[in-house]
Amino acid sequence: MNRTVPYWIAGAALILGFLLLAPHLLPEMKIHLIIEIMIFSLWAVSFNLLFGHGGLLAFGFGAPFGVGAYAAALLFQHFAGISLVLTLSLVALLGFVTGVIIGSLSVRLKGAYFALITFGFQMFLYAIALKWYSVTKGDDGFGVTRPALSLPLAGNLSMANVVPVYYFTLAIVVLAILATYLFQKTPLGNSIALVRENDVRPPFLGYNVYLTRLTVFSVACFLAALAGGLFVFFNEFVSTAVIDMNISMIVLLMAIIGGSEYFLGPILGAAFYVLVQNWLSSLTNRWFLVMGAIFIVVVLYLEGGLISLFIPKKDQPGVSMGGK
Amino acid sequence: MASVLMLENIWKDFSGLEILRGISLEIKEGERHAIIGPNGAGKTTLFHVITGFYKPSKGKIFFLDREVTGLSTYRIARLGLSRSFQITSIFPKMTVHENIRNAIVSKLGRRFDWTSLLSRSKDIQEETNRLTELLRLEGVKDMLAMTLSYGWQRRLEVALTLALDPKLILLDEPTAGVDVKETRGFVQFIKEVTVGKTLIMIEHDMDVVFNLADRITVLNQGQVLTTGSLDEIRRSEEVQRAYAGRK
Repeated sequence: MNRTVPYWIAGAALILGFLLLAPHLLPEMKIHLIIEIMIFSLWAVSFNLLFGHGGLLAFGFGAPFGVGAYAAALLFQHFAGISLVLTLSLVALLGFVTGVIIGSLSVRLKGAYFALITFGFQMFLYAIALKWYSVTKGDDGFGVTRPALSLPLAGNLSMANVVPVYYFTLAIVVLAILATYLFQKTPLGNSIALVRENDVRPPFLGYNVYLTRLTVFSVACFLAALAGGLFVFFNEFVSTAVIDMNISMIVLLMAIIGGSEYFLGPILGAAFYVLVQNWLSSLTNRWFLVMGAIFIVVVLYLEGGLISLFIPKKDQPGVSMGGK
Repeated sequence: MASVLMLENIWKDFSGLEILRGISLEIKEGERHAIIGPNGAGKTTLFHVITGFYKPSKGKIFFLDREVTGLSTYRIARLGLSRSFQITSIFPKMTVHENIRNAIVSKLGRRFDWTSLLSRSKDIQEETNRLTELLRLEGVKDMLAMTLSYGWQRRLEVALTLALDPKLILLDEPTAGVDVKETRGFVQFIKEVTVGKTLIMIEHDMDVVFNLADRITVLNQGQVLTTGSLDEIRRSEEVQRAYAGRK
């Protein structure tokens, strides 16, 4: 195991190096794609904090993403000149609060019930976004202008061009994903994992299962809302597409195609999804059909997702326990 | 000696079906108490009530002179009451070391610590290592719990309970399903690692009971038939009738 560590470091350095240089090497179109991949990576990682790490499958994970997206859009629209960092902080906090509200009513439930009630909340929010036309412009949506980034000493950095947008997104996403990774390694991260493993024993060891689940749900929503906020910051546009049923399915596809058992799986899934979608949609407008087929193939024949092509599966017991 | 656990007239019914019917029991410090009784006597239900997993329909529970009736399971556990399960309940995809660490993180009150890394927390690591050694799991510490043999899984089950350094230990049929050949060693293990501690166990195997316990309570149809020392129980006609009666 330890012998593979240098490869990991080399790989990470290579990827980070590429990401840092990319805007100078690639045409603008490709930079857009990478920004999209980064934002969806953060979102898929937050989904997987809940799904792969916490063992909670939420069908309605578009809810915090959409809340973040709309919050960012409305802040940009109504408070011209608002600080970018402040906006994203507020957006993420609102995501956390959304998580506390939805989570407190849903994390007691298990399996399909949990999955569906989160979906119910999302549909409720979707209905608001669709019908409250005076504020949201419904499914027509509305455009916003990116504010400049005010830096302490350097003054304002315009975000009109794609290159600063790229670097800003890169910084936020790398920080957020790194923080998520470290979060999983803390005692609290461990509490979340053990509740996934066995939810009968923990209370007898002193763990409050409900509060643990509520915490992971809220933290995941915090990150998802941040991703939603970045999505609007990048696209300069918001519509009900950020909170509809599709968007929830997309994050599920990313996590499962990439592989939910590993931290990097959803990132790989997000990259795969965005690139394949981009390629397929240039060929056919029935690309979702092909994506569905890919999903089926992965679920049937590649249980650990794409990441398992690179890393052997984690838990292969020496002794068969029967079944999975 | 001080009372560790006191049950006052505990009743528990499930939509009218009375499982526990007025149980009163006192467990004193250092006592090693076995609860025996035919199937369906209410032994496991009694454990569920003591640990807060079920709320009693009537009656009061005192743990270390503090009323705990109606408290959540995790709160009662944090007060120092720890139980094991008849059906093994461990963390299958974690190593033995990580299993024990789960108990240690809780014991040290670090369940919600999100500002330090687990691998960098020396106190947690040291305490986990100490307990892993103390509970004789050193040799299997890096194995995933699911890959252990059944006998070792039972050991881990009991070890998880003990790793919390509880003030009262509840063991629900610790030797359930363990090979006859392995049972002797396992009982010896329990005896050694629980020395001097207050213990309540449910057990069917009378050899195990006579080996581990100094007092016995016989439960029958949700009521305490009798409580007494090993000799008193051995001689009791009531007990013999209850056991013979069900055949």
